[in-house]
Amino acid sequence: MHDEVSAERRMKVLVAEDSSVMRMLLIAQLRGWDLDVVSAVDGAEAWELFKEHEFSLVLTDWIMPNVDGLELIRRIRNYTLPHYVYVILLTAKTDTEDLVHAMDAGADDFLVKPCDTQELRVRLREGTRILKLESTLAEQNLAIRDAQAALVQSERLASVGQLAAGMAHEINNPIAFVSNNLAVLRRDVDSLMQIISAYRECRDDLSRVDADAIARIDRLEQEHDLPWIMENTLPMFQSSKDGLKRVRDIVSNLRDFARLDEAVQDKILIGDTIRSTLAILNHVIDEAQVSVVLNDPDKPPIVCRPASLNQVFHNVLTNAIQACQPGDKITINVGQTDESVLVDICDTGAGMDESVLARIFEPFFTTRPIGQGTGLGLALCFGIVRDHGGEISATSQLGEGTTIYIRLPKQPQLAS
Amino acid sequence: MSAETEKPPILLVDDEPEILASLKGLLRREFTLHTAQSGAEALEILRQHKIHVIMTDQRMPEMTGSELLSHAQTQSADSIRMIFTGYADIKAVIDAVNNGRLYRYITKPWDPDELIETLQQAADEYARRQRRRDLLSDLVEYFDDATESGKQDASLLRARVQNEIELDDATLS
Repeated sequence: MHDEVSAERRMKVLVAEDSSVMRMLLIAQLRGWDLDVVSAVDGAEAWELFKEHEFSLVLTDWIMPNVDGLELIRRIRNYTLPHYVYVILLTAKTDTEDLVHAMDAGADDFLVKPCDTQELRVRLREGTRILKLESTLAEQNLAIRDAQAALVQSERLASVGQLAAGMAHEINNPIAFVSNNLAVLRRDVDSLMQIISAYRECRDDLSRVDADAIARIDRLEQEHDLPWIMENTLPMFQSSKDGLKRVRDIVSNLRDFARLDEAVQDKILIGDTIRSTLAILNHVIDEAQVSVVLNDPDKPPIVCRPASLNQVFHNVLTNAIQACQPGDKITINVGQTDESVLVDICDTGAGMDESVLARIFEPFFTTRPIGQGTGLGLALCFGIVRDHGGEISATSQLGEGTTIYIRLPKQPQLAS
Repeated sequence: MSAETEKPPILLVDDEPEILASLKGLLRREFTLHTAQSGAEALEILRQHKIHVIMTDQRMPEMTGSELLSHAQTQSADSIRMIFTGYADIKAVIDAVNNGRLYRYITKPWDPDELIETLQQAADEYARRQRRRDLLSDLVEYFDDATESGKQDASLLRARVQNEIELDDATLS
C-alpha cells in the first residue's frame, strides 16, 4: 500500500468527519500509509480547506452539521479544477436507494462505517489507480492537442505559402509590362517636355506671326497648369517606380518562401553563418545602440543551404534589433544535441503579447506600418527551417523581450 | 560596334501582346524590332529576316521558349539567343544555358535599363562574331592568293585559320 499510494509524490487527502474518534482513527491510518492528511470537523470547514489546498482524494462523512457530505461533494464537482478529485463517502447507511443517491451526487465510492482497515486500504488503492489513469489520459490529451495545433499551423503556413507563390507567378507578367511601360512613359514624357521647351523658346517669334494662336496656347497652358506638370511629372514617375519596386520585392520574397531548392548545399559551422550575418547587420546594430553577444562554445558543424540560413538569421536578427531600444541586449546561444544544432536568439526588447506571438510566422502578418514591412520575414524563416527539417518557435513577454528558438538537424534530408 | 549607325535587328517573342507592346516602346530607339506572339510566327520571321538577337519568353502555349531556340539554332545559327522568364522556370533556363543554347537569360520582371544594356551587349557580341568570321574568311582568301604565288607557309597558315572557322561553326550550333 505504502508504495502504491505514494509512489510518485505524497498524495494529499482531505478528511471530513464530525466524530472526533472516527476522525483520529482515519488520520492515524492514512498517515500510516504515508499520505499527506488534512482534516476538517464539518462540511463547511472541509469546503474552505478544499478551496485553499490541492487535494486529489477526499474522504467525507455523510451526516455532518452545517454542510453535509452530499452538499460538499456537489460543491467539489461544480468547482473547476485542472485535475480530477476522487471522493469516497463514509456512511452508516446501507440502503441501495441511499447509495444511488450518493453516487448521483458525485461520489466515486463509499465505505460503510465503521471502516475495516483492509477495506479502506483497497478502496484507496482503487482511487489512486483511477486518479493515475485520469492524469495520464489528461496528459496524453494535452499532448495530442498541442501536436494537432502545431500540425494545423504548419499546414496552414505551407498552403498559404504555396498559394502566395502561385499568385506571385501570375502577377509577374503584369508587373513586368507595367514597370516597363512606366520606364518608357518616363522617357517619352521627358522627350515631350524637351520638345515643348523648344517650342516655348520661339514663343515670341510665333506671337508676332500669329497672336491668336499664342493666346490659345497660353489659355491651354493656364488651364492645365503647365508649370505644375513640368515640375511634378518626373517625381511622380519616380514614386510609381519605387512603389513597383516594393511590389517586385514582395513577389521575390514570396518566391523565396516557396522555392528554396535552388540554393546550394554545403557543410559549414553554424557560428560562421551567424557571424557573417552579424557583419552585414553591423551598421544597423551600431545605429540602434544594441549590444550583441554570440555564445558558440561547441562550434557545431551542419549540412545546410548556407544562403538560406543566412536569410533566416538576417530576418530574425533584424526583427530583434527593431524590437530593441538603445542599451538593449541580444544574446545568441549556439548549442547542440547528438542530432541537432540549436540556436536561441534572445532579445531584451519590446516583446509582444500572446495574440501577436501566435501569428508571427503567418505570411503577411506584420505589426509595422503599411509599406514598411511585408510581413514575410518570419514566414520565410519558417519555410526555410521547415525545408531543412527543423523547427522554429518563439516565446515572448511584453516589455521584457522575445526569444526565437531554432532547431536544425545536422544531417537534414533536404528536398531537391 | 558603337560606330555602326544601323540599329541592330532583334526579334521579341511573347504570347502576351502587352509585353510586346511595352518592349517595343522601350527598345524602338536602339533597335530594329520584330515581334512574334508564338514560336511558329517567330520561326517564320527568322526565315524572312536576318536577326541578330532573339529574345523569347519561356512559357508559351504550343512551343516553349527553349524549344523555339533549339529550332532557331538550326535555322539561324548566328543569332544571339536569350530567354526571359518568370521565377518558376529558372531551372529549365539554367539547363538551357549550360547546354550552350543561351547567351543570357533575363528574369521577369526585368529592369528596363539593364534590359537595354544586355540587349546591346548581345548585339555587340553578334557584331564581334561577324567581324571575326569576316576577318577569318578574308584571311583564307588572302592565303589562297599567297599559296598560288608560291609562298611556302601560306597553306599551313590557311589550314590553321580554316580550322578556327570550323571551330566557330561548331560552337554556334
